[in-house]
Amino acid sequence: MADAPILEVRNLVTAFDTDAGQVIAVDGVSFQCHRGRTLGIVGESGCGKSVTALSIMRLLPQPMGRILGGEILFDGRDLAQATPEQMYQVRGGKIGMIFQEPMTALNPVHTIGRQLAEVFLLHKTRDRAEALRLAIEMLKHVGIPSPEVRVGEYPHQLSGGMRQRVVIAMALACRPQLVIADEPTTALDVTIQAQILDLMQQLQAELGMSIMLITHDLGVIAEMCDDVVVMYGGRIAESGPVEAIFENPSHPYTRGLLDSIPRLGGQRKSRLRIIDGMVPALKDMPPGCRFQNRCPFAVDRCRKDQPAIEQVAPGHAVACHRWREVVAGAAVSATS
Amino acid sequence: MKFSLNPITAKKLRRFRQIRRGFVSFTILAVLIGLSLIAEVLVNSRALIVRFEGKWYFPTYGAIIPGRTFGLDYDYATNFRELQARLEKEPERGWVLMPPVPYDPIENCYPGEFFRPRAPSFAERHFLGTDQLNRDVLARVVYGFRNALIFAGCYIVLTYLIGVSLGCSMGYFGGRLDLFGQRLIEIWSQVPFFFVVIIVASIVSGLGGMNLGWLLGVVVLFSWTSITWYMRSVTYKEKARDYVHAAEVIGAGNTRIIFSHVLPNVISTLVTFAPFSVAAAISALTALDFLGYGLPPPTPSWGELLRQGTSNLSAPWIVASAFGALMLVLVLVTFIGEAVREAFDPKKFTIYR
Repeated sequence: MADAPILEVRNLVTAFDTDAGQVIAVDGVSFQCHRGRTLGIVGESGCGKSVTALSIMRLLPQPMGRILGGEILFDGRDLAQATPEQMYQVRGGKIGMIFQEPMTALNPVHTIGRQLAEVFLLHKTRDRAEALRLAIEMLKHVGIPSPEVRVGEYPHQLSGGMRQRVVIAMALACRPQLVIADEPTTALDVTIQAQILDLMQQLQAELGMSIMLITHDLGVIAEMCDDVVVMYGGRIAESGPVEAIFENPSHPYTRGLLDSIPRLGGQRKSRLRIIDGMVPALKDMPPGCRFQNRCPFAVDRCRKDQPAIEQVAPGHAVACHRWREVVAGAAVSATS
Repeated sequence: MKFSLNPITAKKLRRFRQIRRGFVSFTILAVLIGLSLIAEVLVNSRALIVRFEGKWYFPTYGAIIPGRTFGLDYDYATNFRELQARLEKEPERGWVLMPPVPYDPIENCYPGEFFRPRAPSFAERHFLGTDQLNRDVLARVVYGFRNALIFAGCYIVLTYLIGVSLGCSMGYFGGRLDLFGQRLIEIWSQVPFFFVVIIVASIVSGLGGMNLGWLLGVVVLFSWTSITWYMRSVTYKEKARDYVHAAEVIGAGNTRIIFSHVLPNVISTLVTFAPFSVAAAISALTALDFLGYGLPPPTPSWGELLRQGTSNLSAPWIVASAFGALMLVLVLVTFIGEAVREAFDPKKFTIYR
């Protein structure tokens, strides 16, 4: 089946054991990542984006983190049930991962050639010379000038953008079917950000992989993604195609996020719109909707019942009791 | 891939060379260690070369040569100093070349006489005199140094082996191993070291005598904790680094991560501990020997010399030689340690300079 999603997460529940008891960091999250497309996961710090990614890779901090339930279907196989040996094959070979900090994602004591060759040695070849040759080829692929020289250099001799290119090269070395990018551009300058995003898109077009892009930057989402999942407090607030989310935000949180972006055409020196209040701590989440204490639309029902996922349009889902009012309100504020 | 030093390591080594005091100390100590390795050629009661009735003999290494070989009237090992004196009277039969210090550390040089410490004398070639059993002090200092070095070397290898493997597993795998390991170390470091050594030494000497292995075992038993503790915390810290996650993400297993990602990053700090461990090992050995719980007599050792010297203060050359040698080596090692620490200080290598 060509259009079966490469990754399907169903009702994922991930918890951490802390001194204060068990904390549910990801609570019943479901989404799909289609072949050759880019899925964006957006949300503020602590909303469970990174934990979702780590759950997929089965790299939750041990022994505190645990997957309590749900399925992670990757290419038809449930990673939540996979053995450690199976995961060694999946990591790097079938799923690659790009980290936020290119400064620290490379080991300072090894040359980048050696680190890149390691991927090939683990998954493709046993021959060191061959691995090094593949490493040079991969560096050329990610646009690093004179890769033959660069393979012999150490991470501290490269600039931040170069290092991120190396990290991308490592993630893509074995032509994975899915790349999880955890805030890949957050630590970079804006100009370098654009280069890196371009590079990722170009490589995606060449290699036909899927990307799961985790970010809190809606600009990056608009630029890169086909589909978006908005997370809040460990749950999915809204999900759908990127156009639908940006044109017809149906969850008050998504609307808040979009409203708090400064706009070029807007009034100068006016205060930016913010979302009032704080995210409640994970261990004392209120019953009902988790956004209730910051939501301008909240009513009594929101404080009692957890909102079900409802369809706004085909492929566009939202978890809000009052999404119709939100959509109507958005229309009102847009006309006013 | 061709062998090349990591530029940071090269820089550290360059810096170490620039710290004069440390580098000079290192050179002196290296020369001393080198000399102690060929001590048989320099300080020995066996001759270097014997020419006797048309034949060549090189008695320094190898089996003992009985006296009859050289026309003497005994079958035990030749006394080459006597042979030399005899052949000087009859030079047509041959000659003997003795080492600069022609004495063995465990021989009583004047067996017929009443034992008494003899003052240093260039004529008798006792450059630092003799001890109360008429053994040459310089010979005992030199061979004592070699024993101390062997002890320190084994000590470092063993403590590092235990410390690194246990500390690394505790920090890396965490969980119960870490929890119980920590408690074990906390309890174990409260056990008084010298008491236990004294008790073990008295038991062991009843069983058949102390030797290097036992002594090493006892000292290491109480010294592995600090390096383990240190390794645990750095591994713990290193494990949380992104490049370790990155290695996990490309599918590397635990062994690979520990050996190729964690260890190389902590090795430079381990190096800075090594000189101080050497100093600790030498002092511990000397202290135990001084108290009489160390290596059995007649093994040459500095602690034993110090003890003799303090009970024979009328022969100050004994205590002065042992003390001088101990001071010299400890000062050199400490200077090296300081220089290594400074050269490996990561703060020197930030870009904000």
